[in-house]
Amino acid sequence: MRADLRLAWQLTRGSDRREWWRVGLTAVGAALATGLALAGVALASLDGYVAMPFADGLLDDPRQRAGVVFSLALLLIPVLGFLGQTARIGAVHRDRRLAALRLAGATPWQVRRIAGLEAGLACLLGSALATAVAVPVLLSLWTSPTALAWAGMALVALAVPALGAATAALALRRVVASPLGWVRRVRAARRPGWAFLTAALLLAASAGLALLTPLFDRPHVLSPVPLAVLALTLVVGAAAVLLTGWSSGLLGRTLAARAQRPALLIAAERLRDDPWAAARTHAAVLLVTVIGTGFVGVRQVLLAELHAMSRVDHLGMDMEFYTTGLDLTAAAILVALGLVLSALAVGTAESLATRRRGLAAQHAAGVPRGVLARALFLETALPLAPAVAVAGAGGMAIGAWYASLTREYVVHVVPYVSLLAPLAVYACCLLAAATSLPLLHRSVRPAELRYA
Amino acid sequence: MSNTEGSTVPLLAARDLVKAHGRTEALHGASVELREGEILAVTGASGSGKSTLLHCLAGIVRPDTGSVTYAGERLDRLPEKRLSELRRTEFGVVFQFGQLIPELTALDNAALPLLLAGVRRQEARERAGEWLERFGVRGQGELRPGEMSGGQAQRAALARALVTGPKVVFADEPTGALDSLASEQVMTALTHTARESGTAVLLITHDAQVAAYADREVRLADGTVAPLEVAA
Amino acid sequence: MIGMSTRHILLGLLATGPSHGYDLKRRHDERFPQARPLAYGQVYTTLQRLVRDGLAEVDGTDSDGGPERTTYRSTEDGARELAEWAGQIAPPAPFVTNEIFAKVVVSILSGGDAEAYLRAQRAAHMARMRELTAVKTARGTDLATVLSADYALNHLDADLRWMTTTAARLTTLTAEVDAG
Repeated sequence: MRADLRLAWQLTRGSDRREWWRVGLTAVGAALATGLALAGVALASLDGYVAMPFADGLLDDPRQRAGVVFSLALLLIPVLGFLGQTARIGAVHRDRRLAALRLAGATPWQVRRIAGLEAGLACLLGSALATAVAVPVLLSLWTSPTALAWAGMALVALAVPALGAATAALALRRVVASPLGWVRRVRAARRPGWAFLTAALLLAASAGLALLTPLFDRPHVLSPVPLAVLALTLVVGAAAVLLTGWSSGLLGRTLAARAQRPALLIAAERLRDDPWAAARTHAAVLLVTVIGTGFVGVRQVLLAELHAMSRVDHLGMDMEFYTTGLDLTAAAILVALGLVLSALAVGTAESLATRRRGLAAQHAAGVPRGVLARALFLETALPLAPAVAVAGAGGMAIGAWYASLTREYVVHVVPYVSLLAPLAVYACCLLAAATSLPLLHRSVRPAELRYA
Repeated sequence: MSNTEGSTVPLLAARDLVKAHGRTEALHGASVELREGEILAVTGASGSGKSTLLHCLAGIVRPDTGSVTYAGERLDRLPEKRLSELRRTEFGVVFQFGQLIPELTALDNAALPLLLAGVRRQEARERAGEWLERFGVRGQGELRPGEMSGGQAQRAALARALVTGPKVVFADEPTGALDSLASEQVMTALTHTARESGTAVLLITHDAQVAAYADREVRLADGTVAPLEVAA
Repeated sequence: MIGMSTRHILLGLLATGPSHGYDLKRRHDERFPQARPLAYGQVYTTLQRLVRDGLAEVDGTDSDGGPERTTYRSTEDGARELAEWAGQIAPPAPFVTNEIFAKVVVSILSGGDAEAYLRAQRAAHMARMRELTAVKTARGTDLATVLSADYALNHLDADLRWMTTTAARLTTLTAEVDAG
């Protein structure tokens, strides 16, 4: 283990700038994950009714607290997506290096341990930083935290690096199985595996179950089955991923046959070559689109209803109680969107960096930089358009369904405003993809043509 | 050598080129001339500045000092946009590898310069097909570069370099990754086509057998042109 | 084609049937295009020796309207000898007689410019390689010509590589030769 640790450290220290980016961003992702998990654990460790000095009483009641904890847990999804993207930075180089280690005689477990240690140490750094911030914050808010809270927080601080290491080791299974293949740069278009399909089916089943359970009968405004909404959201998200993979393949084939413009041709052929690359990158975007669109719809309906209720004095709490809840949710969704967009930008930049030698050769051969930039941009924009449209429609359906449930105080309206959400997400995604374009300028330098 | 042959005004001329990459000076006062329709080999040890010389002559990089003149125009002073245009219309480029887009078929790769020039896809593919035919890889037209042998991919790359009817083809170690038979096929295809169409070729190589396909040789040593024979 | 036996080549050409001296020379030059052309006198003396050693014999004479010409054919001993020779491997350069290396050393010993000599030799080699390549790549060239040109090209290339590395190490060599 000591030898492995030393080797992992040496390899990381000797690696190039992109690998440091991976380590750094992995640490940031781990810090976010730890922070969210710590907040969740601290809230979950509270028992019964507690008078909180902040958040307009939203955290006082155990039932609403459970909702907040649940939202925090959901926020982990985009964080994980972000971590998944950062793991790809310099991944080709790292995988080849580890494959070379395998060929040099390292055992499969040694290689797994080395990769696990690399990722684990980065996650440990992030988790330590997040814990170092969280503990004083907690102490300032809560004079004597319970032993349960402490235990939970310690568990989180240790679990994040451990999970990071385990995931990294697991992700290496292809390199471990056939090191030669990776050295030779054999690349196969990966379809979503059975794990993804199983998860999607399970979610669909749980959504169905949740819909059938008699939780509906509760009179509270804020209790229309968050679980059902969220499971439904996840199912729509999963469908959007499958649809992206399928549609980007179709789009690639169709456009590649008809394209007249070189940029479109290049982008279409790339999509045809690996349609699931787009699907993997865009999974989290689509999920956020569903949630965001759904939320905008629910919020509109809910606010209308709350105002109507407050007019007839039927509100159980202050108006602020509800608006704070909605604002917090909105903030959470915006954080998720930010994460997803960063992941998208990181993914685009990484895809560009991996291909910089080829791009430099194209530029040297007279392909204008504008054409290369448009091809890169279209690669993101093309497959995302139908997927975001479907995800938006899904979110819209959630909002409309919610509106149809709550017609006690207000007339039934379809929340059309939520249609703006997918448009906004799409625009943000294009902007995020565009942030990597300045990198193209640096990538097509003739220095990249030199044979390494 | 045969300085009296051919036209007197060179098509492409570099004078006293100096170019540094960071702290290492790749070119140190190199001068070279390429006449119309001439096949010129640039040889020299690795690190002698061959590739940098090609990059300067093809307008891919600007020299720090010195001049590059193509058909009376100073390449080192042209704006990037015009250089890019020049590279895809008047010049053709072949590298050791990497000049084909991996996701495009051989036919689409060869047609790309025409598409960039605004030719319709169908016509571009037909014309590219004729070039693939000339280089004996028509049958591989629907394959992607990764699915072809190294020699076939290089011949497809030649088709792409020549499809616009360039005045100069720049070839940087075009046979560097090939075995001797494939190398012979690529070089024969290149020199035959260039001679028939009157295209000048600047050929970078460290292999004397490849350099022997050229009409003339320029030898680089330490970033400058080394004398080939006893100093006159 | 250093060290190649003219005897055996002529025996080989005779293996296809009786032939006279001029015909043998013509066929040799055709078959081995990049080799040094055979002199007619050499063909004649070699044939005489083959007859003397019982490997070939006179088949007859014909005139074909021109001067009288003697036709030769291979004997059974000749066929055996030929088969034996063709099956033997060529000794892989047992003694290198390297004129270029000798000239470099002599030039250092006599205070001449070894570098200039190597440069001139290199240019001459390159010029010959260009000639051979032009022959080889001319349209309609037969494979025998291509292959024999390739043989010569590869040998010249080997010389060239040797000259390049030697030129790069001349200083050390000069020190060594001068010290000895």
